[in-house]
Amino acid sequence: MNSADTTLKHYFVSHEQQFDAAKLGMWLFLVTEVLLFSGMFVAYAVYRSWHPEVFLQASELLDWRLGALNTVVLLASSFTVALAIHFVQKGQNDKVIGFLILTLACAAVFMIVKYFEYSGKFSHGVFPGAGFEPHGIVDGKDYSKYDIPFAPQFFSIYFVMTGIHGVHVLVGMGLFGWLTTRVARGHFSPQYYTPVELTGLYWHLVDIIWIFLFPLLYLI
Amino acid sequence: MAQSHHHIIPARTLALVFGALLFLTLITVITAQIDLGVLNVPLALAIAGFKTILVIFIFMALKYDNPVNMLTVVLGVVFVVVFLALTLADTEFRGSMGITEPGTTESASLESSP
Repeated sequence: MNSADTTLKHYFVSHEQQFDAAKLGMWLFLVTEVLLFSGMFVAYAVYRSWHPEVFLQASELLDWRLGALNTVVLLASSFTVALAIHFVQKGQNDKVIGFLILTLACAAVFMIVKYFEYSGKFSHGVFPGAGFEPHGIVDGKDYSKYDIPFAPQFFSIYFVMTGIHGVHVLVGMGLFGWLTTRVARGHFSPQYYTPVELTGLYWHLVDIIWIFLFPLLYLI
Repeated sequence: MAQSHHHIIPARTLALVFGALLFLTLITVITAQIDLGVLNVPLALAIAGFKTILVIFIFMALKYDNPVNMLTVVLGVVFVVVFLALTLADTEFRGSMGITEPGTTESASLESSP
């Protein structure tokens, strides 16, 4: 073992063991993330089963085209981060930087679309909770007709679920920015790229959450 | 220094999975426009579940990974199912338990409960 190798902690036998331990820890963390979101999915399931017609009607106000665009953008970012890991394993760090920046760009597009969706809703009185007072006409839809019992519950669930998901996207953007600078500083090699691998796992989970949010909130 | 022995997934495989995910998204959007009655929700969830399996197994490389990570994921899913099933077992059947007299409707018992 090379004594100058600072990437291997002294309490691990090998890089392999260190990598496996870090990865198991990350999977455990991802399970806690799944359980965090599952609370909101259960709330969705309960309210939907109680008021199915309200959920169908209220979801008409969400633009499925923007949801679909964001789905494609997030799937693309999952693909680019998988490619970043592919190339860091091969030691082609210039390509790693390219794909990390592409991933960051996709995440930014996602948040920009989300910003327009949220501001469009806020400007017509669609707020989570007590401020819910839809008004105005958009795309031929009269928002005031959606001021029905339990519609606020749908939008509270929508804002909380997509909001917490959005916070995860922002955290991911910070992580990708940080990773890009570390790759540029030559911190990673095919032997040590654990932070890239773990951030990739995190990002795929953010993608998976959206894979469920898109049909449940926008489509059905 | 030894090279790592991690499985490197070919870029072609990753591209194929990405294509499959886009295709399944298209299928989700198309089937959601058609009124399938009670089947719309299970179908959308089934497609989302299949997309999730693709992401977990290939993009997250669980297929090539240490089995203990698989165990972690499976346990997580089991607990989500328990959470969802037991909650719905409550919320779906509230008010039904006390109905013992013939001809008593569920809605009547719900209205009389505080």
